[in-house]
Amino acid sequence: MNHDIDVKKVRTNCFRQSKVAGEFMLQMRVPGAVIDAKHLKAVAEICERWGNGSFHMGTRQTLDIPGVKYENIPEVNRYIKQYIEEVDVKLCGCDMEATEYGYPTIGARNVMACIGNAHCIKGNANTYEMAKKIEKLVFPSHYHIKVSVAGCPNDCAKANFNDFGVIGVNKQVYDYDRCIGCGSCVDACQSHATGVLTLNENGKIDKDPCCCVGCGECSLICPTGGWTRDPKKLYRVTLGGRTGKQTPRSGKLFLNWVTEDVVLGMFANWQKFSAWALDYKPEYLHGGHLIDRVGYKEFAKHIFEGVEFNPEAKVADDIYWAENEQRSNIHVMPLSQHKHAGPSEESSK
Amino acid sequence: MGYKLSFGEADRIFDSLQKEYEIWAPKRFVGKGRYSDTDMIRYDKIHRADEIEFNEKSDFPAKEVLTPITETLFYFTEDEYRESKATKKKLLIFMRPCDVHAKYHQEKIYLENGDFADSYYQRMSEKVKIVLMECGEGWDTCFCVSMGTNRTDDYAAAVRAEDEAMFLEIKDEELAPYFQKCASARFTPSFVEENPLQVTVPEIPNKEVLTELKRHPMWDEFDKRCVSCGACTLACSTCTCFTTSDIVYQENSNAGERKRTSASCQIEGFTDMAGGIVFRNTAGERMRYKVLHKFHDYKARFRDFHMCVGCGRCISRCPELISIAATVDKMAAAVDEITASQKAEGGK
Repeated sequence: MNHDIDVKKVRTNCFRQSKVAGEFMLQMRVPGAVIDAKHLKAVAEICERWGNGSFHMGTRQTLDIPGVKYENIPEVNRYIKQYIEEVDVKLCGCDMEATEYGYPTIGARNVMACIGNAHCIKGNANTYEMAKKIEKLVFPSHYHIKVSVAGCPNDCAKANFNDFGVIGVNKQVYDYDRCIGCGSCVDACQSHATGVLTLNENGKIDKDPCCCVGCGECSLICPTGGWTRDPKKLYRVTLGGRTGKQTPRSGKLFLNWVTEDVVLGMFANWQKFSAWALDYKPEYLHGGHLIDRVGYKEFAKHIFEGVEFNPEAKVADDIYWAENEQRSNIHVMPLSQHKHAGPSEESSK
Repeated sequence: MGYKLSFGEADRIFDSLQKEYEIWAPKRFVGKGRYSDTDMIRYDKIHRADEIEFNEKSDFPAKEVLTPITETLFYFTEDEYRESKATKKKLLIFMRPCDVHAKYHQEKIYLENGDFADSYYQRMSEKVKIVLMECGEGWDTCFCVSMGTNRTDDYAAAVRAEDEAMFLEIKDEELAPYFQKCASARFTPSFVEENPLQVTVPEIPNKEVLTELKRHPMWDEFDKRCVSCGACTLACSTCTCFTTSDIVYQENSNAGERKRTSASCQIEGFTDMAGGIVFRNTAGERMRYKVLHKFHDYKARFRDFHMCVGCGRCISRCPELISIAATVDKMAAAVDEITASQKAEGGK
């Protein structure tokens, strides 16, 4: 067999190197984690014809086909043309053509999502519709970014461990006259959320609006419809979450109560920001690391360019990430090893 | 007399009716349902025909018009009180047959039970004129036919909506003049004659069976399933329980108002008494109380009809998907089982 393979090139094509030399695992994108069930037949076909017969559920909700031999990659790429056409081109409207050569890049990772309000009783947002809109803005791009969309602050989608975590929230509206003072919302908020509700001496509800996470537990449990969601769809966005060997950490609250327009306006600036931060040379480096290099305040300037905030919007003025360092003093190093951010002296000329 | 009106014509008639009437009807509140991107349908004052939700059953019953969930009864200071005022206008309420039947139960409890007429209910009840809404084929949680509440002729007007137009039958003489200029059309309402959901309420033959039924393990199921939220009773067309509470003004604790607020036998604390006595401690016991009240006790006391009118709103609103119809079926099976074992023992 061929023992001279440019594995980085193959990786960019979304085939991951196997420990078995010459074998690769194809990762098929499923933006928002919902597709027509018919595609599963095609996936099974690839697994059985070109893979090793097994199938892996990708941790980022990709459809993974292990055991594809290097020499079969061109054939597999021709076979998945239709899938890419239907999912990324048509469904998400990405600015790309489906070709015989498979995925054009691995850069922006599959946009993850929980099932959201299309199914879930707790969901506040249609997560896969949002994920598809984000996919259109970040893919295909060689700049790496990990995004996940959660339907509610319960965050089953692990938005908190992505560069950008988009979380569906609603303002909750209280109808004094429909409240019977049963206290169900107080209990629900205490046990499922942030405990911002109290039953007052008049048998009605007081709320500490500051710490409400907009999850809707009160509206779910209220027997009278005394609590309801404000139908305006809003989002909370967490920033800089990640896994990894060196500095895994949870994302920090970045935006709160922002509209879809704000979220998408921000993602529309991502590629431009990344290009600027990396001196127009894509690196195998995920979004959060770019923000670390640039610093939050500088990042904010770029990412909010042209974004108009809705009146309810709250925006982080600064973020202090606490690094969960796996090794002490990880940031302390000789000056020569410091990483550079922004255009080099050459390109700024 | 029967008429056909476009929604536009209806709006003009509503305008002139508003001088004398408040018009109440089920209305859709978009995005206000329990779950995201679902709606709530409940009663509200309306001004235009297109505000009325004709096609779906309301989540909450018509009783809310006469007995709002929270209602101020009177205002007080340290030495005097003044009663709240009811609306001066008459009430034109769009209701379905189940709600019309439910109103009889409400009247019985508020006006006749215990030889005492509740004046706050009475002053509203006297003003009502019913506009009966046709139900078409009904909905999948309805079992009005089983409860004998699918038909009624107790209405001032009846209505069917079709393609932005209303067919109306006007029986009430006070309403007739408003419709004189409308095109006449043959219309009398038709009624649901069969529901997919059917309920056979068991006869409980004697007190011994009733006692055994209360002890039956069938109720234990609800200790695990029911979350005691009370959504069933608040959506119930016939429930009347309320509690009263005084709101004392913060700036002057000698003044305040007395309110009454709907209460629910399903919610923990409902039977709390002085001395820490509690009658129904578990969700199963509370469910048993409600089911027997609706399907045995009420009829046993008033000797006419079961309290439940089969509107099915409790089924639609239960967040844990507990069906009252399925519960009554289980109760019927338990009654059969108890009766059979009593017979077997009697035969020994």
